[in-house]
Amino acid sequence: MSALPLSQVAGKMGQSGTERAEDIATALQGARVLVVDDNQVNLHLLTAILERGGIGWVEVASDGMQALARLPNFDPDLLLLDLMMPGLDGFEVCRRVRALAAFRHLPVLVQSSLNRAEDRARAFAAGATDYISKPINANELISRVRNHLRNRILVMSLQHYRRRREAELNLARRMQQRLLPRQPQIEAALAKGLVIRSHFAPSSELGGDLWGLFTDRWGRQAIWLIDFSGHGVAAALNTFRLHVLLQQIGAGDHDPAGVLAMVNRRLCSLLPQGQFATMLVGVVDPEAHRFIYATAAATRPLVWSEGDRVPRLGGSAGLPLGLTTRATYENRELGFGRGTSIFLYSDAATEIAVGNGILDEEGFVAMAARLLIETNDDDLLPRLLPELAAVGTLDDDLTALVIRRT
Amino acid sequence: MDHYTQIQNQETIVSVSGRLTFNDHASLRALIRELCDNETKRQIFELSGLEFVDSAGIGMLLIAREELANRSKELVLRGATGQVKRVFTVAQLGKLITIDD
Repeated sequence: MSALPLSQVAGKMGQSGTERAEDIATALQGARVLVVDDNQVNLHLLTAILERGGIGWVEVASDGMQALARLPNFDPDLLLLDLMMPGLDGFEVCRRVRALAAFRHLPVLVQSSLNRAEDRARAFAAGATDYISKPINANELISRVRNHLRNRILVMSLQHYRRRREAELNLARRMQQRLLPRQPQIEAALAKGLVIRSHFAPSSELGGDLWGLFTDRWGRQAIWLIDFSGHGVAAALNTFRLHVLLQQIGAGDHDPAGVLAMVNRRLCSLLPQGQFATMLVGVVDPEAHRFIYATAAATRPLVWSEGDRVPRLGGSAGLPLGLTTRATYENRELGFGRGTSIFLYSDAATEIAVGNGILDEEGFVAMAARLLIETNDDDLLPRLLPELAAVGTLDDDLTALVIRRT
Repeated sequence: MDHYTQIQNQETIVSVSGRLTFNDHASLRALIRELCDNETKRQIFELSGLEFVDSAGIGMLLIAREELANRSKELVLRGATGQVKRVFTVAQLGKLITIDD
């Protein structure tokens, strides 16, 4: 039977994320050990012990130069190294092995008749992983070799597992990014006289924020922003659910309060206890110059026109989504003539820790108001985001949208 | 989050202070179990020392309300100020949990 190399067994364990005793036994059969000793009798003895101990593949080298030459092709899982050898001694072999990137973490088990504490210290300083004294006790040797190989298998399988999870999270993040409005949608809004600028930044790989656009059946541009409680994978899964849900309920057939009521009812049966979402849905009524919106505990929208010194704040009280099927929502209005802008954002911006307190809504609105006066709103997001970052670390997902009527 | 519990006049009063966030998940879980198992019907969270609550904190308060309601017990939130009070107001939490000021 030809055994699989140790790295492949570790890779399989990493895929399943499990550590079974029989996998480790299999891995030992596929393990490669390079034994280095200048004494032929020792080489035979050590090889015999290792093979009897279940190590599948043992090769030997009788001096330091030979050992280093064998490394790249044999690619051992463990080096069993004698210290006292003519020419290149074990200390120097150790140092040179550690200087090679591919073998920086290779277990090096040093065997020597040098038994003083200083010799051991020197060996460890040179990069040895462990030390075993001569005369060799077969049981001790095989136990130590197995321990180091087992550690190596576990570390490799964890590394493999982590790489896999990272790749999957990256894929999920790209999928989430694709849920966001694409260029054609932004351009369609522009054709309706709306310039939309956005910032979307999950706090970790994946987040619970999402925003989107749709056109209602009266041809008006609608915009929404949702923030699921918590962040990370669980919150992100909810954003995918919502994306589907909005299509299912035919969001364009309802007014903002109606959309919230329908999303709420669906989320009540979908979300586990203690999870919820805050959301704002708004629609631009170009003829009446109004922004009609409804919120479920979202942050208060900010509105300003060119030349305003202070933004107006819209109301936003409303039950979060997913808590009770009895929740009802109301439509609110803000004047939204030409040259007016609306700023919508998720609550990460108001939860930044500042000293002992937080940059709350008041602090955030004051910051935004100052920037509105200092800049035109084309530059608002590029100016605001670094200022927020300078205040403190965001520990939640941040979405920010500026919608301007031209 | 820090908290201490006292029982008086058949009511349990839990004084909560500091920040109530996702990090307090485990300790709040333990607290909810404790409140579910005690003898009193009315459980009051005294929140005047609470400086900050995030969405996970709100979620845990809702879980507390539901688990207590399952045992025919009442949860009352009392004395919220500042950011905590604003969050309660925006989320209209008073429609779901008794808020006492």
